[in-house]
Amino acid sequence: MKTTLFSLVLTACLFSSCSDISLDQVPITERSEVNFYKTNADFYNAVLGVYGTFKNGGIIGQGSGSYQFMTELVSDDTDSGQARGGIAAELYYFEDFNFSLASTTISTAWGGHYLGIARANSILDRLPAASIPQVSKDRFEGEAKFMRAWFYFNLVRFFGDVQLVTSEITSPYGANSLPRSPAADVYKQIIADLQVAETKLPATIPTAEAGRASSWAAKTLLGKVYLTQKQFDAAATKLKEVIDGNAYSLLPKYADVFPATTSYAANKEYILAVQYKSGLLGQGTEPGQTGQGSDMWSNWAAVNSGVALLGAGGGIGGGFNRPTVDMVAAYEAGDLRKDASVATSYKATNGTTVNERYVVKFRQQGALNGDSDVDFPILRYADVLLMYGEALNELGRTTDGLTYLNQVRKRAGLADKTGLSQADFRLAIEQERRVEFAFEGHRWFDLVRTGRFVPVMQAKAYKVQPFHSLYLIPQREMDLNKTLTQNPGY
Amino acid sequence: MGQYFTDSWKKCLFGWGLFLLFVPALAQTPVTVTGRVTDETGQLLPGVTVLVKSSSEANRTNGTTTAADGSFRISVPSANATLVVSYVGYLSQEIAMNNRSVLEVSLVPGDKTLSEVVVVGYGTQEKKDLTGAIATVGARDIQRLPVSGFDQALKGQVAGLQITNTSGAPGGNTSILVRGISSITGGNDPLFVIDGFPVNNSGVGNPLNTINPNDIESIDVLKDASATAIYGSRGSNGVIIITTKKGKSGKTRYEINAYTGFQELAKKVPLMNAQEYAAWVTEARNASYLDNVVGANVADPNSKRAISYQIPVAFQDPSKLTTTDWQEAIFRKAPIRSYQLSASGGTDNLRYALSGGYFNQQGIIINSGLERYTFRANLDGKLSPKLNVGINLAPSYTKQNDVIAEGHYGAFGILSSAQSMPPYLPIYNADGTYASYVNATEGQPAIANPVQIANEYLIRPSQFRLLGNVYADYSILSDLRLRVTMGTDLNYSKNRTWSPNTINPSNPSTATSSNAENNSWLNENTLSYKKQFGLHGVDAVVGFTSQRSYSNSITATANNFPDNLVPNINGGTVTSGGEGIQIYTLQSFLARVNYVFNDKYLLTGTIRRDGSSRFGTDNRWGTFPSASVGWRLSEESFMKGQQLVTDLKLRASYGFTGNNAIGNYRAIGQLSSVRYVVGETLVSGLSRSSFTNPDLGWETTRQLDLGLDFSLLNSRVSVTADYYRKVNTDMLFTIQTPSVTGITSAVVNLGKVENKGVELSLSSRNLVGALKWNTNVNITFNRNKVLQMSNDAERILSASGGRPAYAVTQVGFPIGSFYGRRFLGIFQTEQEAKEYKPQPNAHAGDVKWKDIDGNGIIDANDREVIGSPFPKYYFGFNNSFTYKNVSLDIMTSGNVGQQVYNNSFYLNNSGVQNNAKYVYDNRYVSPEQPGNGLFGRAIRGGKNDNTQYSSVYLFDASFLRIRNVTLAYALPGTLINRLHLSSVRVYATATNLYTFTKYPGYDPETNISGDNLTSFGLDFGAYPQARTITFGLNLSF
Repeated sequence: MKTTLFSLVLTACLFSSCSDISLDQVPITERSEVNFYKTNADFYNAVLGVYGTFKNGGIIGQGSGSYQFMTELVSDDTDSGQARGGIAAELYYFEDFNFSLASTTISTAWGGHYLGIARANSILDRLPAASIPQVSKDRFEGEAKFMRAWFYFNLVRFFGDVQLVTSEITSPYGANSLPRSPAADVYKQIIADLQVAETKLPATIPTAEAGRASSWAAKTLLGKVYLTQKQFDAAATKLKEVIDGNAYSLLPKYADVFPATTSYAANKEYILAVQYKSGLLGQGTEPGQTGQGSDMWSNWAAVNSGVALLGAGGGIGGGFNRPTVDMVAAYEAGDLRKDASVATSYKATNGTTVNERYVVKFRQQGALNGDSDVDFPILRYADVLLMYGEALNELGRTTDGLTYLNQVRKRAGLADKTGLSQADFRLAIEQERRVEFAFEGHRWFDLVRTGRFVPVMQAKAYKVQPFHSLYLIPQREMDLNKTLTQNPGY
Repeated sequence: MGQYFTDSWKKCLFGWGLFLLFVPALAQTPVTVTGRVTDETGQLLPGVTVLVKSSSEANRTNGTTTAADGSFRISVPSANATLVVSYVGYLSQEIAMNNRSVLEVSLVPGDKTLSEVVVVGYGTQEKKDLTGAIATVGARDIQRLPVSGFDQALKGQVAGLQITNTSGAPGGNTSILVRGISSITGGNDPLFVIDGFPVNNSGVGNPLNTINPNDIESIDVLKDASATAIYGSRGSNGVIIITTKKGKSGKTRYEINAYTGFQELAKKVPLMNAQEYAAWVTEARNASYLDNVVGANVADPNSKRAISYQIPVAFQDPSKLTTTDWQEAIFRKAPIRSYQLSASGGTDNLRYALSGGYFNQQGIIINSGLERYTFRANLDGKLSPKLNVGINLAPSYTKQNDVIAEGHYGAFGILSSAQSMPPYLPIYNADGTYASYVNATEGQPAIANPVQIANEYLIRPSQFRLLGNVYADYSILSDLRLRVTMGTDLNYSKNRTWSPNTINPSNPSTATSSNAENNSWLNENTLSYKKQFGLHGVDAVVGFTSQRSYSNSITATANNFPDNLVPNINGGTVTSGGEGIQIYTLQSFLARVNYVFNDKYLLTGTIRRDGSSRFGTDNRWGTFPSASVGWRLSEESFMKGQQLVTDLKLRASYGFTGNNAIGNYRAIGQLSSVRYVVGETLVSGLSRSSFTNPDLGWETTRQLDLGLDFSLLNSRVSVTADYYRKVNTDMLFTIQTPSVTGITSAVVNLGKVENKGVELSLSSRNLVGALKWNTNVNITFNRNKVLQMSNDAERILSASGGRPAYAVTQVGFPIGSFYGRRFLGIFQTEQEAKEYKPQPNAHAGDVKWKDIDGNGIIDANDREVIGSPFPKYYFGFNNSFTYKNVSLDIMTSGNVGQQVYNNSFYLNNSGVQNNAKYVYDNRYVSPEQPGNGLFGRAIRGGKNDNTQYSSVYLFDASFLRIRNVTLAYALPGTLINRLHLSSVRVYATATNLYTFTKYPGYDPETNISGDNLTSFGLDFGAYPQARTITFGLNLSF
């Protein structure tokens, strides 16, 4: 009996001593959430993840993401150089104003922006409790909120009412019945985020950190949001702060703003841009991203121009975003921006001249296919000037506004505008913005913002209807969430 | 010390050692009994088991077997002990010694199955008391086939067990399904339990190859919930329990088992000769020239044609071409041999079974083969009447030479290459170098020389595996026993591959190296209680177990080889590599009660509670209960007095089991890197890439089983029949999630799959006189159907072998149904082609497809379920005949109703590389020569694109295979005695002797889809199963 007891005790002891058979096992050779969001470096890496979303194909991508099609191709600025059929099917949705509910351009735009928002939300949820220096905490918060505002600002302009999410959705089923929020609420959130961001972001970004957002970026974007909301007073105030800050200026030559030879850090006109860098093929991480370079030039060069425009190994030339005849004609005589922006012919390798329009703004000769260094501007100083001028005009200070319009015209080699009425000033700004920001993703936003999209496009015989001022809600999202409603007209 | 062997484990071991040391041994008073066993005709029976009856499980192994003259000698604990005498095919007898010391026993043939001991999880039961669906296969039936793993030997022997060779290569994999496919994305392998140790399927190749089939005593297949619920979250896919041979006390018995033989290709696929090939290619190129080029004329010379329409110069006088038999070049007659030496025996206090084996199987494709060394030591000791201890150790080393038999010739698939190489090319050039077609100048695709691939593309896996466990079994009270087990499965494997650029200069040399370590540790503690209270019999077990598995693999790939002097990663630059570590733990509580009333009414209840690190934090423990009842009608008084029915039992069971093969760490959110450029420098950020799902858990299967066992005419005929319905719910499933979450898909538990079926097995002793004839038949009908997915319209499309999607999983159909265009026939005339509007580019001789969505065009929407790779039923039909010392066994098995997607014909029907004579002979040529209606005209790249996957590529793969024929002769006792031997048996076997099938490829059964059951049934150059002839010897002394 003694032995029995002994062995029972021993067996019981065996049970307890084998306690390392813990059921809490975490990945050892893969990165997981379990030990993330702890250190300063973790949060920095998470913030980089938010910036990296710029290169998601649903946003800027490698230079020809959904953003470009949804803002340029859809407008009177560009058309498709690709013939109908095959890979061009998506392009012609925008050409023809005949959208498919299954359009991947639109569904990836929806998904890409929400991916960025989710990445920002994961940070913002965890920052308050993080034991990291306050100065880092502030900056990370500012960056996450700035980026979230930018993503929402695009979403609300593309889609109108959208789902408003400001914290991480942890359950796979967590958004299955999340409805769209009124656009007004989304704007409230954008403004609130930017108001925090402008106070928490640093004014100066060291060269080594070029590409991260500054307080000026937050103020500029806030000014733009106010302008879009027709809060002209607030917009003017905010934009004036940027002008008076003297941190940015127009480069003397328009043509110097865009090429790869102008380094981002030295570009006094870029308030924020998406950074591209060649030589990093294979280092892309977002879907479809081949490296860290830009494919804008190879995709926008004249269709099938190949070696003639792109050089050996530069690609075949996509012609995805071809300047319209109307766009080429939009430049006033003597406008220095024209040759820096568009071309209408090129010499083929056999010496013959091919008449085909194409964008030269983001050209980088000799870059390997999809691997150019040319950055893409998100916010630039000329925009601040023109927005400020516009705000002043709307506030009845048309003459004051002309000063800023003319600063931009002067650099373009054009004569000053004088003595415009408020209405004429509006048209002058519309024209100036078109040529100044050609192919930079402003045109559709600008026309819709000013209510000019339908008349301008219809006058040029595009099959535009009023409902086209908003895009359709992607079918995939409608299928997964029965509470989502489709925008009218689709 | 490795991760896996931590301090606590040392404590466990130490504690266990103490346990052994401190339990005192008691004295005993043995008595020796001698005797002789004969059959009903008075013939002496060798090899009969004589055991001392004991309530203690451990004492069951106190026994011996009769010698060649039927004699035995055994030591029993006391003079009034009871002996149990049993022999396969005879009724067991229990004989009380009543102080006798000499016994004469005469056995009568009877139902062997009733008193047979069946191994169930955490214990054993007599067959008559079983209420669950369990099938047992004995050593003899496992060892009959000359194969590397027992899985291949089990084929066709157990109802409900579907085993498919996914490769016929030496050591090739099998897919094993117990009662159908339960899971779409989780695992479908049954749980293998070797001497009580649930093993992981790890290592290289087929892990079951590491066990020598000759060491196996019996295999028990647990099928219904009543039987498998004791394995809880691992029980859903069935459990296969392997019990190895143990020593029995008595004189040392030596055995030598050896066989040697050869294997050969069972069936050659007829290919075109050079002239036919030339005619075919010419026809195909002309046809596509006319199809694609406006104004083309067949008479146009090559100079007017684009390269793909040109007629190769060599074909202008085909009579000069000679034919190479590329199949002859890659296949060979390959030797196979196996040797095993074993010794078993012992005293009452220490019994042993030792064995060492060597197995060498060369493959029928040149330069392939497998070599294996196996050792086993099973020791069982009795330290006191109350305490038994034992240890089983089984190290093995397996080494393989693999070749890429399967897949596209572009990826160096040897069979595709051999079937696609132009027959007019020689194997070697005049200078002895390999003739090559990789720089084909005639607009042909590059095809590497298959002989060169087999010889130069090296794949060299090997593994060392040690299965070991120790146990102590202590009788606390006479009916209450405690058993503590510690076990381990250590597995070290590696693989080296080398692909030199000599095979195809545009494929640069590449080498890979990988090393992996997988180990698993198990501690089991069970208390069991068995007692008879008058008419009430109780047998109960409770236990606690814990298991920890660790795996680690390191791989490296090298490229940029300046030369081929060093054919491994050192010769080039390592360009990629990595390490993966995974740990998985499982803790369980289990209990089972068997209750028998008056030998008539049987009741079993089991429950297991499993906690697993794989499950999410909010769903970490799962409970898996089952209950079953049995009624032995034959024991009722109204059944007494009749002679027809010997035994009759009804069974019913219902229960819950789980499938935990959902992968490790799946419940934990992963991060993925997001790279960006800051300050002109590449930076690497991180973002969440999957959900943390704290609710993620096991898949749950609910299973109902209704069974009937009966035997007639003094057990001459016995039948087992089962109906089952298994519904797997909460499957591991990937759903789409709204983009607003930032993640577009998630792994959750969702969906339902049903398997229902009927299993019948019958064994009959047709003749029992001098000529004995036994028949065993089993047949299984299984129906698989997906009942629920995330929505009814969802389709999961899948493919193996790098093919475009050809299978679908969707509600209302079996998992992995073939999915594609519906073939309607071949357009017989231009008129017919023109009239069929959905195919505007079609001409006479082109393929006609169904416009499924009726929209007037044929595109990707015109696809539907067109077939199933799974049989409607499968069966085994096995007969054995014995006359005096000669025996003849014939095993046949078959599958009926399944289809195979023959992708080698896809290649051969496209007009590019067209070597199958079957296609050539049956093609459409003209309305007068329409062929067999399945194969279109010869055309390369026609506008109608006849190569599109459709139902015409699905072939009926039903077959009946003569799986094994064994003819054996046992030397007569008189001769053996003179040689001082116990028994000598010589035999010859023929395996896969012949296959009756309409399938035109090598083998209707072999397919390359591996374990991927959602895209099963693809023949894309699968390594065919060989026909094997062996000669063997079993000798014991």
